[in-house]
Amino acid sequence: MELLFGQIINAILLGCTYTLVAIGFSLFFGVMDVVVFCAGDIAIFGAFSIMGAYTILASAGIFSVLPFTVAVFILLLVASILCASLGLLTYRFSVKPFENTSALMPLLSTIALGVVIKEVLGLVFQRVVNPLAKAAASGGEALAVQGGRNPQAMPVLIAPDGTITERNLIIIGVTLFLLLALFLFLNKTKIGLSMQAISQNKDLSRMIGINVNRIVILTFVIGGVLLAIGGFLVGSYNTIIRFDNGTMYGTKGFAAAVVGGLSNIYGAIVGGMLLAFVEVFVSGYIPNGTAYSSIIAFVVVVFFIVFKPEGIIGEKTVEKV
Amino acid sequence: MKDQGTKPSIPNFLYSALGVLMINLIIFVLLYVIIAAEFAVSMITLLCTILVMLYLDKKGLINEIFSIFIKYKRTALISTVVLALIFPLMLADKRYIAHIAIIVTVYGMAALGLNFQMGSTNMVNFAPAAFMGIGAYSIAVLTAKFGMSSWVALAIAILTSGLMGLLIGIPTLRTKDYYLSLVTMALQLAFTMVLFNIPYLGGPNGISGVKPLSIGEFSLVKSYTVFGVKIAPQIPYLYLCILILALFIYIAMRIYISRIGLSLNTIAQDEVAANCLGINIAARKLFAFVIGAIFCGVAGALYGSYTSYVGPDDFGFPKSLMIICMVILGGMDNVVGVVTGAFILTVITEKLRVFSDFQQLVYGLILLTVLIVRPAGLIPKRVRNYCMVFKKNIVKHTQD
Repeated sequence: MELLFGQIINAILLGCTYTLVAIGFSLFFGVMDVVVFCAGDIAIFGAFSIMGAYTILASAGIFSVLPFTVAVFILLLVASILCASLGLLTYRFSVKPFENTSALMPLLSTIALGVVIKEVLGLVFQRVVNPLAKAAASGGEALAVQGGRNPQAMPVLIAPDGTITERNLIIIGVTLFLLLALFLFLNKTKIGLSMQAISQNKDLSRMIGINVNRIVILTFVIGGVLLAIGGFLVGSYNTIIRFDNGTMYGTKGFAAAVVGGLSNIYGAIVGGMLLAFVEVFVSGYIPNGTAYSSIIAFVVVVFFIVFKPEGIIGEKTVEKV
Repeated sequence: MKDQGTKPSIPNFLYSALGVLMINLIIFVLLYVIIAAEFAVSMITLLCTILVMLYLDKKGLINEIFSIFIKYKRTALISTVVLALIFPLMLADKRYIAHIAIIVTVYGMAALGLNFQMGSTNMVNFAPAAFMGIGAYSIAVLTAKFGMSSWVALAIAILTSGLMGLLIGIPTLRTKDYYLSLVTMALQLAFTMVLFNIPYLGGPNGISGVKPLSIGEFSLVKSYTVFGVKIAPQIPYLYLCILILALFIYIAMRIYISRIGLSLNTIAQDEVAANCLGINIAARKLFAFVIGAIFCGVAGALYGSYTSYVGPDDFGFPKSLMIICMVILGGMDNVVGVVTGAFILTVITEKLRVFSDFQQLVYGLILLTVLIVRPAGLIPKRVRNYCMVFKKNIVKHTQD
């Protein structure tokens, strides 16, 4: 029973991290009808920017001056601003030039941009010889760096004195808070409502006086901020991030969005949770299953796409000739 | 094609068999310089060639050159064959350059295979490297573990990669656009993970000791002394690779000008309209997947038997991205363009070996730049010349 409870908490945690990326996909897909494939890389960029900012701030001694929560808040702010500008960059260079082309062009261009982001991260953070040694010297907590090609340990920023369970509960709480905020934003504010209008019919919303361009740009900013926090949570959950985590993370997030229904933001939550539960329970209850958990998750996704392409919550679209 | 109406400004003397010969010679000299020269010289030549190609295309002259080649078909064919036979001999004392040439031909085959799906049918397949991996692992397991003859293993590799193409093709029949690319991407990632986790296939260490292809007693990856000149061990294998690449180019061109190629393009433009015209969409899409998988599988098998080692890293997602990059850079749905793209990217990769950290970054930037600046690729899709497809009928008709 204890084990089962632990597994469920674990699955919900993983689901939270997938959900945030999946929501990013759904948001972008809603307003622009494109799949922005570098969402995973943007999120990992967020995690790395938090790590880099932490290293710099810790070596500057900010942490001893300010209270810990305020410092963490500053870190999140920095990462959010960076990710929001990256979101804008994505829009400018890999979505806007392909507004009226076939659907596959933005897919390829965002993948290319994702590769660029990933490689730049790899190049920059390989050169930092050992950020943790510096962080540890200035009072930060150092984590053991495990094997693999240039993994970076994420500093413990969520409840550094708490137990793992407490930390996990905080991650779940943050995700729930974000989801609630997003729900209120989309349904109660004018901007959120215009986003929904654009996702339903772009021409008509232009006609009733919505500044479509501005709303689209705003969506990319909001998506960037969400992804930054998602990346932060992923880093805190795994305690270790690698520059090429983004591909897998992005693919899983996209898969979650598709399983739930790509055009529906609430579908992203369902899809993320489903994917996470499959993965955690396969690695928990099938002998030697850890190695195959991702593979089985992908098989589930393929089955969903083939037999229920509109997703769990999505509406079935009938193609009109 | 702004100046379609005006007369193209090619000098008159090129409209002859001699002109074809000259153009062919220039192309081969350029290929040799780019592939064999020092880093700086090769890169500058490559850049100049690309700029000249862009200029020629802007003036509409590339199509002119194509039509000259078609007009003097026999001269073009004979001169190309002679030059292709001489070309490896020029690399006889350069092991590394010959190695680059082999890699170029291997990726040329894989890119041709991907072109059936991505160029002709507009289905972005993110798993060409997985198809290559199937071919390579088939030949590796069969020769290294069961001790089979490598030619039999190659035949079985063709079979298994074709089957794999069918297997991946069937679920994609029901999907489109993003969903299709997600399915293939998931399969590509799952393929690498499976390879990593099966101890029988060597896990991350891969399989070594793959038998090289051999004709009778003569191994194709071995140094021979011909007329007192010692030639590099890669040369016999390079001949084989060029032969198979030529065969694949021929097959791809035949398919392009046949009814099948035309129906693939129809499906790419409008599936519903294609259905209304009576095209069997399922069969055509499966055809594109199976033949593409076979091309990639053969490429992988040749690669595996050449390096005598296969590992999961050679067939991962970055390699798929590289092959996609080749197809887009060269020009989708253009056989010559695709091979050109494979040549350019492979040479850049091999020459940039010193800066291997920047490799992926360079691919990403190239892909992004090409997509924004010139989405049609270096040598864009040609306007179909319908007279060529139905040439026989027209000739018959006029004779009557």
